[in-house]
Amino acid sequence: MAYNSIVLVREIWDTRDLLDGVVRSDGQADTSRLTTRFDPEDLNALEMALQVKDEHGGTVTALSVGASREVDVLRESLYRGVDAVYRVVDPVLDTADTSVKATAATKAVEKIGRPDLFIAGLNVGEGENSHVGVHTAQLLGLPRAHYVDRLQSIGDGAATCIRAIEGGYETVAISLPAALIVGVALLKEDPRAPRSAKARLKLQMKKTPIEQWSIADLGLDPATIGNVTICVGVEPVEQRAIDSRRIEGSDEAALKQMIQELKEW
Amino acid sequence: MTNDVWVYAEHDADGLTDLTLQCLARGRSLADQQGGSLSALLLGSALGDLPATLGSRGADRVFVADDERLAQYSPMTYTRVIGSALKEQAAAGALLFPASTQGNDLAPAVTQTLSASCVLDCTAVDVDGETLVGKRLEYDRKALAGYKATGSALQVFTAQDGVAEAVSPETGRAGETIPVAVVLHESDCVSKVLKREIAQKTINLKEARVIVAAGAGVGSKENFALVEELAAVAGGEIAASRAAVDAGWATLDRQIGQTGVTVRPDLYIAVGISGAVQHRVGMMDSKRIVAINVDANAPIFRFSHYCIVGDLVEVVPKLIKLWQNYTR
Repeated sequence: MAYNSIVLVREIWDTRDLLDGVVRSDGQADTSRLTTRFDPEDLNALEMALQVKDEHGGTVTALSVGASREVDVLRESLYRGVDAVYRVVDPVLDTADTSVKATAATKAVEKIGRPDLFIAGLNVGEGENSHVGVHTAQLLGLPRAHYVDRLQSIGDGAATCIRAIEGGYETVAISLPAALIVGVALLKEDPRAPRSAKARLKLQMKKTPIEQWSIADLGLDPATIGNVTICVGVEPVEQRAIDSRRIEGSDEAALKQMIQELKEW
Repeated sequence: MTNDVWVYAEHDADGLTDLTLQCLARGRSLADQQGGSLSALLLGSALGDLPATLGSRGADRVFVADDERLAQYSPMTYTRVIGSALKEQAAAGALLFPASTQGNDLAPAVTQTLSASCVLDCTAVDVDGETLVGKRLEYDRKALAGYKATGSALQVFTAQDGVAEAVSPETGRAGETIPVAVVLHESDCVSKVLKREIAQKTINLKEARVIVAAGAGVGSKENFALVEELAAVAGGEIAASRAAVDAGWATLDRQIGQTGVTVRPDLYIAVGISGAVQHRVGMMDSKRIVAINVDANAPIFRFSHYCIVGDLVEVVPKLIKLWQNYTR
């Protein structure tokens, strides 16, 4: 049996190389110096959907809520083999809280057509408050499995997945349609690790028009949807200064020196 | 008045979780500061003396949903019961969950059910005038952002370890126990736990002064044995990243990171660990960090004191020898 999936994909600030502060003197985050990236957990979620399609057939649709900044996660999804992509763009979303974003995502999912699997990555920082996935699942009335580590099997109207819990794992069977919130950090060689963009698809899809919907297109009134949660300010967090030293593994004298320092410290 | 604070009481085989006790302590002080009461919400089956424990730990009222169908955690049934219990409570101003896998799963769902405001993974929840502010770390832990509810929406927070110090039970203090009706829809009962694997606690890594941890980069059981030897020579405990536990080299109770243990030893040696955030949160406050990785660009080097670039198969035996032969 074939399964249709919708994956929520997001573009997030790339803070990995951010060494100094990000807070301006007016108490807001200064994002002008930051670049963006495809949320790694969402990439894992996308890979999970693509693997279901590879094995069982069906379609994968990528959905993005909010304007694209630098990395177009929808085009990147096309380069990895999804069948369709949709973007919700609206000025309202620039300052929207999670419940507004989840409402928009829900309406978009309904417009696309309800899937067998709604899949999202777990952890998104920067004001999204890392809960869009669960909130959307609840709005869609879908049963969910959270902190999903791997999808073990799918068939007979149910999915079996392994999810992380404190100090261990839980194997859960959940009936379809369902929402999976994927929360796993993967190494490149893991079979669950996301595939790369394909050169052929890049050439084919570079100019493919991407369908965009406004909040009004989704049947929502921008005047009546308002934020329930607001940010009241951002404070800088003092960073731990680490005096980092690089040692070549072959440099025995340096290793010896290190051990001496550690022993006498 | 909507100054009453509610706390979701998570429990496992050992009783109430540590984080739940911290939430109770925080909830008590938030309720006192706002002149409200503290209610605890307890779900499960055959709950024994847990309601009494919640009373002795500061809850004025303990709402108990004791039902066989709640014996195992299921997102849909738990969301339903919490949602209905809170809907009848007009005075509830805030609801605190532990920021566990369970709490972080329930909070956004309950938020949707109750049209509430929600802030996850708070390191602090403070009173700010008429309302509460939840503070969480963002931008790779470089900024602390504060969030609050607009209007009079119920405020849902999940709180991380350290939000408050757990208070000891007070002898003679009791809360009023109030049963909660459990009404489930057929559509709620669509997921089932087939199997649970939980770490058998054979070791308390939190108390180890030296920890040597192995990650997926270690590559094989044989190489893992090499890392174990280094741990023995350095007088430390062996630990592992989630990937290494997945590979079957180490037991679950030795896993460091988000769903494992958080440690702050004097010395942390990470072997073949790339340093993904899931691992990092469990060890980043170690006093001295040594990382051995073949990839010179591994993220772990960004927060290590000693960054040893090289193949562990060559580096680890050298370290073992040098450590053994060390003399002042």
